[in-house]
Amino acid sequence: MQQGHKTTGKTFAFLSSVVILLLIWWLVSLILKNPAVPPPLDALKSFVSAIQRELFTHLGVSLYRVLVSLFLATIMGVPLGIFLGKNPEIDEKIAPMIYLTYPIPKVVFMPIFLIVLGIGDTSKIVLITLITFYQILVTTRDAAKNLEKEYVLSVRSLGAGSWELYRHVYLPGCLPAILTSLRLGLGTAMAVLFLAETYATQTGIGFFIMDSLSRMNYEGMFAGIIAMGLMGFILYLMLDGAEKVLCAWKQRAS
Amino acid sequence: MEHNYISIKSLKADYRQKKQSVVALESVDLSLPKGQRGVIIGPSGCGKSTLLNVLAGLNQSYTGQVLVDNQPPICGGKTALILQEYGLLPWKTVWDNVILGMELRKKSSPEIKEATQKVLEKLGLLSMAKRYPVQLSGGQRQRVAIARALILEPQLLLMDEPFSSLDALSREEIQDSLLKIWEETRVTMLLITHNIEEAVFLGQKIFVMSSCPGHIVQEIENRMAGDYNLRGRVQFLEMCNQLRSCLRGGEYYAAGA
Ligand SMILES: Nc1ncnc2c1ncn2[C@@H]1O[C@H](COP(=O)(O)OP(=O)(O)OP(=O)(O)O)[C@@H](O)[C@H]1O
Ligand SMILES: [Mg+2]
Repeated sequence: MQQGHKTTGKTFAFLSSVVILLLIWWLVSLILKNPAVPPPLDALKSFVSAIQRELFTHLGVSLYRVLVSLFLATIMGVPLGIFLGKNPEIDEKIAPMIYLTYPIPKVVFMPIFLIVLGIGDTSKIVLITLITFYQILVTTRDAAKNLEKEYVLSVRSLGAGSWELYRHVYLPGCLPAILTSLRLGLGTAMAVLFLAETYATQTGIGFFIMDSLSRMNYEGMFAGIIAMGLMGFILYLMLDGAEKVLCAWKQRAS
Repeated sequence: MEHNYISIKSLKADYRQKKQSVVALESVDLSLPKGQRGVIIGPSGCGKSTLLNVLAGLNQSYTGQVLVDNQPPICGGKTALILQEYGLLPWKTVWDNVILGMELRKKSSPEIKEATQKVLEKLGLLSMAKRYPVQLSGGQRQRVAIARALILEPQLLLMDEPFSSLDALSREEIQDSLLKIWEETRVTMLLITHNIEEAVFLGQKIFVMSSCPGHIVQEIENRMAGDYNLRGRVQFLEMCNQLRSCLRGGEYYAAGA
């Protein structure tokens, strides 16, 4: 019963937020009276018509770039982060390197990647991967480092070797932090994606938006913005769902 | 002569940090016969946990001779360790926590299932098998930790301040259960405590430790231990007082001597 009330309450809060945001949008479009900010209904109409034409392909390309990048960043950042967190004596040697390179806005390397790796998908994927990799690496390492020592000691005393410690203790123990870093990384990845797609390319939603802008096709431009927003939102929901399933034990506390 | 299940001679253990090293234990001698209940008591920081970790095989960087069942201690053998906060994995249910040791030993699943059911039933946890540790009370969590250790049918049960975060009542209740488990299994036990009453109630041998660096100052034979009605007796209070004065630096003298 309690659970049911909670869910209904959440759904209501979610729906009312959607309504309020749409209202704000509508008001802003009324006030500005500018073709660059169409009212919600017109925007939705142009999105539906654009998605049935070339926007769909661009969406696919962008989605591919983000997903591949996040995947690569995860399979490199998570194992390395856990490894460093578990082995402080090795982390001590590598930490200065991470410390020195972490604050550099890696997006400035984009021109170099374009020259070295070409203007295709590779340069964009490498750039997004590099940036999100750092976020995942640092968050995972710190989570592994701060993991309760008693978990490790008790499972070691049961006879677990290194591999079993990763499997039973470190990976599940760091999972909430990993998923949080993925959600944060997703936001960064989308921003970098947009930037990477606005230069020297003919594909992707970023290109589609800027191309529409240059042709003063504001309807198309807004359709692209909606596509980008929806993509981010749906990926976010998926990560949220993954957290609910994979970290069910966290929810039980309340 | 009785066979000593634990035998420690001139044990020294230190923690090395960058430049300095902390000597946690120095010339520790300790022996405990098979099937006895030993209790270690001493001030905070005197090296009790370090000693237990050595016996559990978790700390290999010691010098001196340490034998458990005539072998140097190793992890995953016939020794089970229960820690102060129990070390239960919050992402595993009660059931999955309890089977972990058997899983690591690659037991067959029917065997695991049978043993788990038995041990959970014995500790009154069967109805909670699907819960996560956060959904349990402190005393129930403590039972899960005991179940996780007992399922492996250990020869030696090491416990590091296992009851310190429980309220007085659950604490005495679980001391009673522990005694009962010992009567059934006759497992050799070594338990660390800060609690004088607990030491006198449970410990057939009480080792009093002192710090800087950690060593054993007194070894007390306690023939009273193991009586369920002990707590109400006058001798119990006397014994506690003697142990208290011993912990404060006085000499212990045998009661009635
Ligand atoms: N990982 C470590 N690195 C450095 N020094 C340590 C480490 N662990 C323990 N020590 C030191 O070794 C000494 C003994 O520690 P230990 O944890 O064995 O004490 P204890 O008797 O269990 O204390 P308590 O009753 O508070 O649990 C202490 O002085 C402590 O500061
Ligand atoms: Mg301790």
